[in-house]
Amino acid sequence: MIEQLQHLPGIGPKSAQRLALYILKRPEEEVKALAIALMEAKTQVGFCTICFHLSADPICEICRSPNRDSNVLCVVSESKDVIALEKTREYRGKYHVLGGTISPMDGIGPDQLHIQPLVRRVSQQKIEEVIIAISPSVEGETTTLYVGQLLKPFTKVTRIAFGLPMGGDLEYADEVTLARALEGRRELD
Amino acid sequence: MYLRSLHLRQFRNYLDQSVEFSAPKTILVGDNAQGKSNLLEAVELLSTLRSHRTSRDRDLIRDVDAIGQISAQLERDLGSVDLAITLRNSSRRTVALNGQSLRRQLDFLGTLNIVQFSSLDLDLVRGGPEQRRNWLDSLLIQLEPIYASILQQYTHILRQRNALLRQETGVRTQVATSNQPPASELALWDAQLAVAGTRVIRRRSRVVQRIAPLATYWHRQISGSTEELMISYLPNVELQSDDPTIVQQTFLAKIQERAIAEQYQHTTLVGPHRDEVNFSINQTSARQYGSQGQQRTLVLALKLAELKLIEDVIGEPPLLLLDDVLAELDLNRQNQLLDAIQDRFQTLITTTHLGSFDAQWLNSSQVFTVKAGQVL
Repeated sequence: MIEQLQHLPGIGPKSAQRLALYILKRPEEEVKALAIALMEAKTQVGFCTICFHLSADPICEICRSPNRDSNVLCVVSESKDVIALEKTREYRGKYHVLGGTISPMDGIGPDQLHIQPLVRRVSQQKIEEVIIAISPSVEGETTTLYVGQLLKPFTKVTRIAFGLPMGGDLEYADEVTLARALEGRRELD
Repeated sequence: MYLRSLHLRQFRNYLDQSVEFSAPKTILVGDNAQGKSNLLEAVELLSTLRSHRTSRDRDLIRDVDAIGQISAQLERDLGSVDLAITLRNSSRRTVALNGQSLRRQLDFLGTLNIVQFSSLDLDLVRGGPEQRRNWLDSLLIQLEPIYASILQQYTHILRQRNALLRQETGVRTQVATSNQPPASELALWDAQLAVAGTRVIRRRSRVVQRIAPLATYWHRQISGSTEELMISYLPNVELQSDDPTIVQQTFLAKIQERAIAEQYQHTTLVGPHRDEVNFSINQTSARQYGSQGQQRTLVLALKLAELKLIEDVIGEPPLLLLDDVLAELDLNRQNQLLDAIQDRFQTLITTTHLGSFDAQWLNSSQVFTVKAGQVL
């Protein structure tokens, strides 16, 4: 069991041991509930056929919701980014999850990502704006540029701004972030 | 700046060793493989977070299961700073300033400045271009710590682009130019490479321009005004103007020029990873024609120029680390070095025997004997 737990991200040998010993100490029904929950999640949760976000149904809640604005699409690399953006409750549009970023070293090219379905979505539906929200790493940057070039003929494409965290002190920001923040400056309104 | 003390725990062949530096010059004497260079390596790590001998932290730790630690107390003009690096076998190292652990290692760079001079540097002139690029890059990181992340980004893009070139079997359809939007995947990497590469080129060119006159000055001093040293930066992508957009255009044009060759060789042929630095003495390339003596003079001039440049930029004299190199210099050059550093630059020297030292050197130095991981 320790070995199995060690495969999980962020779990080293010590944590794995602690988790295993904890599970052994719990009452049987509690452990059973955990095991069932794990299996159920694995068998039931798949990907939404429209946006590729994690979903128990063929079409996810966000794509089904009539309250969401179908004219705005936010492109992210992973499902965890959807969860992060949903927490803000500021975004009312829909999503598209690419499933990663372009990285030739890992053998991931545009064909391995959900880019074709995205282009189809944007070209066939009436979409007013596509917001690209991908981390500004080397791979993220390339993916953003790639997706941006493909979608520009169909609609307005924007990307989220990068810069200083809220509550952060200017003097504690690193130079790279500061330079990005300067690049993306805007007029005071 | 002045390194007051150094404490090594489970580092290389040291179990637990403190060293107090009480004189501006410290000579570490001992047989080979006793730990002299390990001590200098610890100082190098505190300064650059890199070691020229290994890139794996596991090599730096003495006992397999232990945690290695280097800590030091440094006096700077603005007060004293405590530096610490903790090295682990299987996880990331952590760094701390004044007991505060830092989230970004970049913030640790630039606290302690050093100039290293080891017997390996004597190959700087004759060795491959990679050695000269590394020399330039280490100097730049000390002067402009952000360069470390610029270079890292460039290398990362380069690796991705090379991986793509190895996969691509088809003919490339289109090359990115400044007014045409990039279409193929490779063209996107071209654009990224050009942007990051331009940053590297411009900074390298700037540092060469600054160090060249200093090195020429020192070279004239050491050689007795008979020889004129010229240092020139020969970037792979020509630098006709300092305007980044123009450099990027030149960069992309050159990629286009070499596109077919790149397809056959499956690797990136254009960019600052193929830069060269040329040293010439009286207009003759030192690499091909310089004698042993001339090369020594040249490297010594470069090192003295580094000291001066770092002092000018940082506003405080850096440390000088002389690893097994003094014995390689004749008495005349030793004296030149002594005159240049006087007591202004704190100097740590390793040597196997004190015989080749000038009496003047010995009188002004603190001498330690290093034996089997102990400093006596």
